[in-house]
Amino acid sequence: MRKILLVVILGLGVAAASSLSRYSNPVAADSSQTTAVFDSDGKMRLPVGYRRWVFIGAPLTPNALNNGKANFPEYHHVYVEQKNLDAYLKTGVFPEGTVIVKELTRVLNPTFPDGSRSEPSGRGYFNGEYNGMDVTVKDSKRFAATNGWGFFNFGHHPLPYAESAKEASVGECAGCHIAYVAKTDMTWVQFYPILRDGDKTK
Amino acid sequence: MAFPARLAIGVLLMTAMAAVSPQSVDKGPIFTKDGSLVLPSGFRSWVFIGGPITPNGLNDGAAPFPEFHSVYIERENLRYYQKNGKFPEGTVLVKELSLAQAGEHSDGSLDSASGRGYFPSTLSGLDVMVKDSKRYSKTNDWGFFTFGHHAEPYESTAKESSQCAYCHVANVAKTDMVWVQYYPLLKSKID
Repeated sequence: MRKILLVVILGLGVAAASSLSRYSNPVAADSSQTTAVFDSDGKMRLPVGYRRWVFIGAPLTPNALNNGKANFPEYHHVYVEQKNLDAYLKTGVFPEGTVIVKELTRVLNPTFPDGSRSEPSGRGYFNGEYNGMDVTVKDSKRFAATNGWGFFNFGHHPLPYAESAKEASVGECAGCHIAYVAKTDMTWVQFYPILRDGDKTK
Repeated sequence: MAFPARLAIGVLLMTAMAAVSPQSVDKGPIFTKDGSLVLPSGFRSWVFIGGPITPNGLNDGAAPFPEFHSVYIERENLRYYQKNGKFPEGTVLVKELSLAQAGEHSDGSLDSASGRGYFPSTLSGLDVMVKDSKRYSKTNDWGFFTFGHHAEPYESTAKESSQCAYCHVANVAKTDMVWVQYYPLLKSKID
């Protein structure tokens, strides 16, 4: 009996070890500081896998409340990698190499003049189709001229997005971030509950 | 049972738990003995599939789900749905609410640098649905739970709520009890 148990225990121990190593491998492989990939001419490649990052909030600027043409139409889904979120919550600043993705979606078929519709859960706005992507990358050397962040627009239109994007001009993106949120690491942290209040479920 | 054997079983159990914990910590529903659901953990690291918003300002000041609804699902269950058009047994869907920042417009919207609209403020509640065809056979295989519509901390456990299933049965019984039309990732097969 004891021998059998011992064999089972050893077997499970090996299973546990292999399970641990299996699940730690992707982290080990992902040891680079940033997930941003740049071409030799400085263009950024379209990020991949970002819908598996941590979603931190979704401002909504409907076209119908913005003279038919919102600057960011219409939902803004914002994602950041877990390791960078954790570092932000610990230190109050994003680490070098942080990539923040803002993916846009349209609102679902409006029926009211303000762009909203009525559904069983109430009157409001619901996600329609994907509609574009903007990205910010923290790299204090590469983007020293714009407070350490670079801004990229991969198109404001349905999928597929552009495969690469050149750094947006100061007038397009950085200027507004510098004017409004230079003190909070260039990010509107007040719009993201987790950034502002922390993740109390962890 | 002899002491060494009991000790061995204890070690065995601990080893088994250690073997499972790296991947199981966020997986699947956990129930108490009386059938209450334990507050899910780690769900903000799951896949976000969409965020309806029903502002109080458009719902006579008291939306049933105030106001942003951020919906999360575990990745493997999303993949299964995208492949099979239904959710697997044990699927947990989490809907976390957050209030909108108070705006100056009568509809509650706010003028911001990026435009007029709605912007999340504080987290304000959590609702959960769990697929278990044996436990919830009476309500099309899904159980519904609310952990409170208020700021954190949410309730640590919740009893099955009979208030929720009716509306899902009436409106979305044909799409596995979920309003799949609101969630771009459920409507597509993209990663």
